[in-house]
Amino acid sequence: MEFSEHIKNANVEDVVLRQPLQPPVRGTLCITGHHLLFSDREDSSSQLLLLLRNIDAVEKSVENLSGYPGFLSKAGHSERTTGSSGTITIKCKDLRVLQLDIPGMEQCLNIAHSIETLSCLDNVSEMYPFFYRPADLRLQEHWGLSTPAKHYSQMKALHKKWRLSSVNVDYSVCPSYPPAVIVPTSIDDETLKKAAKFRQGGRFPVLCYYHQKNGMVIMRSSQPLVGANKKRCKEDELLLQAVIDGSDKGYVIDTRSSQQVQRARMTGGGFESKSSYDHWKRLHKQMERGKALQESLIKLVEACGDESHNMDRWLSKLENSKWLSHVQTALSTAGLLAECVERDGHSALVHGYEGTDCSLLISTLAQLIMDPSCRTLEGFLALLEREWIQAGHPFQQRCAHSAYSHARLQQESPVFLLLLDCIWQLWRQFPLALGFSEGLLLQLATEAYASDYGTFLCNSDQERCALGVKDATHCLFQNLLRPTERENYLNPLYEPNELAIWPSVHPQSLQLWRGFFLKWTQQARHLEEVQGEIRNMVIEWVRVTQGDAATIQ
Amino acid sequence: MASPIKAYNSITLDSRISSTLRDSLHMEFLADVSLLPGEERITDKDIIYICPFSGAVKGKVLITNYRIYFKSSDTDLTVLLDVPLGTISRVEKMGGASSRGENSYGLDITCKDMRNLRFALKQEGHSRRDIFELIFRYAFPLSFSMPLFAYITQEKYSENGWNVYKPVEEFRRQGLPNNKWRIAFINKSYDLCDTYPPVLAVPYRSTDEDLRRVAAFRSRGRIPVLSWIHRENQAVIVRCSQPLVGMSGKRNKDDERYLDLIREANDTTKKLTIYDARPNVNAVANKATGGGYEGDEYQNAELVFLDIQNIHVMRESLKKLKDIVYPHVEESHWLSSLESTHWLEHVKLVLTGAIQVADKVSNGNSVVVHCSDGWDRTAQLTSLAMLMLDSHYRTLRGFQVLIEKEWISFGHKFSSRIGHGDKNHADQDRSPVFVQFIDCVWQMTKQFPTAFEFNELLLLTILDHLYSCRFGTFLYNCESSREQHEVRFKTVSLWSLINSKVDLYLNPFYAPDPGQVLYPVASMRHLELWVSYYIRWNPRIQQQVGPVVIF
Repeated sequence: MEFSEHIKNANVEDVVLRQPLQPPVRGTLCITGHHLLFSDREDSSSQLLLLLRNIDAVEKSVENLSGYPGFLSKAGHSERTTGSSGTITIKCKDLRVLQLDIPGMEQCLNIAHSIETLSCLDNVSEMYPFFYRPADLRLQEHWGLSTPAKHYSQMKALHKKWRLSSVNVDYSVCPSYPPAVIVPTSIDDETLKKAAKFRQGGRFPVLCYYHQKNGMVIMRSSQPLVGANKKRCKEDELLLQAVIDGSDKGYVIDTRSSQQVQRARMTGGGFESKSSYDHWKRLHKQMERGKALQESLIKLVEACGDESHNMDRWLSKLENSKWLSHVQTALSTAGLLAECVERDGHSALVHGYEGTDCSLLISTLAQLIMDPSCRTLEGFLALLEREWIQAGHPFQQRCAHSAYSHARLQQESPVFLLLLDCIWQLWRQFPLALGFSEGLLLQLATEAYASDYGTFLCNSDQERCALGVKDATHCLFQNLLRPTERENYLNPLYEPNELAIWPSVHPQSLQLWRGFFLKWTQQARHLEEVQGEIRNMVIEWVRVTQGDAATIQ
Repeated sequence: MASPIKAYNSITLDSRISSTLRDSLHMEFLADVSLLPGEERITDKDIIYICPFSGAVKGKVLITNYRIYFKSSDTDLTVLLDVPLGTISRVEKMGGASSRGENSYGLDITCKDMRNLRFALKQEGHSRRDIFELIFRYAFPLSFSMPLFAYITQEKYSENGWNVYKPVEEFRRQGLPNNKWRIAFINKSYDLCDTYPPVLAVPYRSTDEDLRRVAAFRSRGRIPVLSWIHRENQAVIVRCSQPLVGMSGKRNKDDERYLDLIREANDTTKKLTIYDARPNVNAVANKATGGGYEGDEYQNAELVFLDIQNIHVMRESLKKLKDIVYPHVEESHWLSSLESTHWLEHVKLVLTGAIQVADKVSNGNSVVVHCSDGWDRTAQLTSLAMLMLDSHYRTLRGFQVLIEKEWISFGHKFSSRIGHGDKNHADQDRSPVFVQFIDCVWQMTKQFPTAFEFNELLLLTILDHLYSCRFGTFLYNCESSREQHEVRFKTVSLWSLINSKVDLYLNPFYAPDPGQVLYPVASMRHLELWVSYYIRWNPRIQQQVGPVVIF
C-alpha cells in the first residue's frame, strides 16, 4: 500500500467543518488512505467519517493573510505559515457539500491534494471494501443473493423448455455475462457460441424473466452485428425462434429510435430485420443514455443546489434538466415491455446497443411491474443482483463520478440512479405494493457510488472473480438483510398484491425525488423523520392488533 | 391482428373502471339514483355526454332541483356523472339547428370545480330548449327569485354543525377575556361594522367610543380586532382593513392611539408589526380611492408588505391552470406551463406571508394583518398563521372552528367570490381565494403528514360543498346577511355531514404535538401541484387506493 506517499499532512488541528443542517464545529482533521475523519473531541456526535471515494469534487481557495499576523492562529501554532488560511469545499457523490476551513495555506493545499488523489484512485483492489473488516461480519459468508443458476433451480416451471447453460463458464463466450445463463432447451452450446459472435460484446439473448401467468418470457441481449452489408446469423435466428416456440410472435423492444438503429448498421451494429426474424415485431423507444444522461443529472443537481430564493424559475430549470422526462421514458418503455408480456401475452427481447444499461433498466422495471415476488425486500435485492451485478452493468465506469465532478466525462452515466428514481416513483404511486422502504433506495443510491461493501465494485462478474471480490469483501445485499438491518428497509404498509402495478407516466404524476435530490435540506430531513414516526406507528399498530387477535383466539 | 401496442399507456384497460369512479362524486349513486330528502326530479332525457376521456357516450340525463345526473346506457362502459347544480358557473348552447358534424348541437356547461361538461342532443324539434332552460333556472335560482337548494333539503344528521363554533367559547379557549383584552358586544346589531361578527375581542383599555372613531378611519368599518393570542407570550394576531389615508395623507389620532393600545397589551412588543398583504405599489395605488397604509405617524409600528396579488390576479392564474389541465393535460412542457400559470408562486407567497406572521408572534411580537378590505388575503394570512401556531386548529373540529371564525364570521365574501346561484359568471368579484387557502393547507399536510387530524378527503369535501349549495355553511357574504336569511335555522351545516361520519375524514397517522409551531417550507422546490384536486377528473391520474395518500 502506497497511500502514505499521497498524505503529507495526516493530521491538522484547528479546522472548522461546515456541513449541511449542522452548526460549524472546530476540531481535528485526519486523512487516512480511505477516509476523511473529523473530530471535535468534545462532542462525539459531530464527528465525521467520510469515505474518500464518496468525494466527487474538491475546490480550494487560499488566502494569504500574512499582513494580519495572528489573525487566525492560536498559541502553539506559530510554526505555521503565519496568518494564511484556506478553505476546501468538498462535494460528495451523495450530493452533500462540506466545507473545511484550514489554517495554513500549505497545509490546506496538501490536504486538498491528498483528497484529490486518494478519492480518484482507480485500482480496484486498493479500494476500501478490501480493507473493511467489521467485527460482527465474517468473510466468505454467502456473497450475493442470486445467480441465474439459483434462479433456475427455484423456477421449476422453467425446466421443461429452458435449460441452464455453462457455455460461459470461463467467460470466453461473453466476458460481461455470468458463468451460467438460461437459454431454450433446444439450443445447444455450439449454437450459443455462434450466436454470441453475432452480438456486440458476445451478449447473446438470454432469459431474464419468466412470466408464470402465461409462460411468456423477457430476454435481453446486445444489438446484433448486422452491419452495412446486412449480415445474418442462422444460430441467432434459431435461438430467437426457439424463444417463441409455440407462439405466433414475439416483440423486440429496441431502446433506440429507428433512425438510430439504421445508423448503428454503419458501425457494424444493427437490428433484427423483418426478413431475417419474421416472427419478431420490433418496437422502437428511444432512450437517452451515456453522456446525455450524465449531463441531465448535472443540470438537475445544479438547479437543486441553487439557493437563490427569489423567483428563480425552478420549474423551468427542473424541466430543462430533462431528468423527469428520462424517468418518464424509462417507466413508459418498461410499461410497454410489461404490456407485451402481460396483456398481449407474447415474449419479448429487449436491447439497445451494448445491452448493459437501458436494457437492464427496462427489464428490471418491467419485472417490478409484473412480478409480485420481486417486490419484497429479498426479492428486490435478488433482482438487482441478477439484473445489474451479474448481468454486467459496468458500475465501476458508470459510477466513477457523479454530478459535481470537474473531471472530463468518460464512461459515467447515472443509469442505476435513474432506475432507483423510477422505482421511487412506483413506490410513491403504489405506497402499499412494494415491500421495501424509500430508505433502501436512498441507501443503494449512495452505496453504488461509494461503499464499504464489494457489491458494486468492478464492471462484471469476470472482473470480480479475477480480483477476488467475493472472497475479500463483504456483500452489501447480505448485510442489508441481516436481522439488525432489514427492519430499517421494510415498508410497514406493504400488502402483497398479485396484480401488476401499472404506473402512471404522465408528467403530472411524476415528482422530483426530493428524498434524494434535496436530501441535505431541512425539509427532506424532517420528512425522513416523519416517515420513521409513521413506520413506528404502523409497526405498533400491527403489534397491538395482532396481540388483540391472539387474545380473542 | 393490428398491433395493439403503439405507446405504453397506463390506462388502456383500466379507463372504464376509473372513469366511472372519477366522474362520480358519490359512490352510492353507482347502483341507482338515490335522491336527497327534499330533492325532486325535474326532468330526464336521452342525451349524449361528450366525455373528454372516453368520447361520446349515449345515456340518460336526470335533472333534479339539486343535481345533474347522467348514466350511460351502454352496459359495457359505465359512465356516471353526478354534479350538483351549484357547481355550474355557466351554461351555453353549442351549435345551431343547422350545425353540421356529429354531436355538434347541444349544451356546454362550465363548472367551478375545474371541469366542463358537454352534452349533445338530436338536432330536431328544438330538443335542447327545455333542458337548457331548466338547467339554467335551477343552476341559478337566485337569478330567478327561487331559493337555493340549502333551503329545500330535508336532510337530518345526528350532529348539529351549527354548534361547532361559538365565538365566546373559542375566546375562552384562548384564555380571553383577560386583563389586557376584553370581549366587546358593540357590534351585536352590526351597526359598527356590517361585515364583522357580533362578538369582538379588543384591547381592554379601548372604550366603545374609541372603537367607533377607529371604525370611521378603517375601510368599511373593519377595525383592528384580535384573532388569536399566544397563550404563553401573550402576543396577538390582530386583523383589520386598510386605513382611509387617501391622497391627502389623512391621519387619525384615535387609530394611531388604538394601534398603540394593541402594542401595549403585550409587554414584549417594542414595535407593532403591521403586515400589509399587498404589494407595495398596490397599497400606494389604493390611496387614490381613499385607502392606503400606515405611514410614519404610527411611531411604534413597522410596516411590511407581503407582495400577495389581488383577487383578479388569482382568478386569472387559476383560469390558466385550468387551461393546462382540463380536459387534456399540457404534457409536452408540463413544468414550464405550470410555471407560467404562476399558481404555485402565489401559493408560495401566501405561505411565506403566513410564516412571517407566525414567526413574529411566536417570538413574542404582536402583529396586525390587513390588505384592502381585510376579507381575502387577510383571512388567508391569519388563518394559516393560526394553523401553524395553534395545534387545536389542526384537529378535525378545530379546523372547522378556524374556517367558521376567520373566514365565515369575519366576512369573506363567499357569495360574491363563488357566485352561489348567480348566473353572472363573468362577475369581477369571483375569485378562488378560499380554494387557494385550502391548497396552502394541503401543502402543509404534505409537509407535516402526522400533524393534522384530518385527511385530504376533508379538504376535497369542503371544496365540493363550497359550490354545491346543499349546506348553508358557505352561503352569503357576512354574518349579518346570514342572520337576515336565517341560515342557522333554515339550512343544514356542512359540519353536520362531516361530524356525523367522522371516520371518513381522519388521518390514521395523526400524532398530536401540542405546542409545536409548524413552519412549512415555502420554497418552490418543496411545493407541489395538488394533482388530486386540480386534475382529479382526469382518469389518468392514478394512485393506489389505500389508507394513505400522503407521501
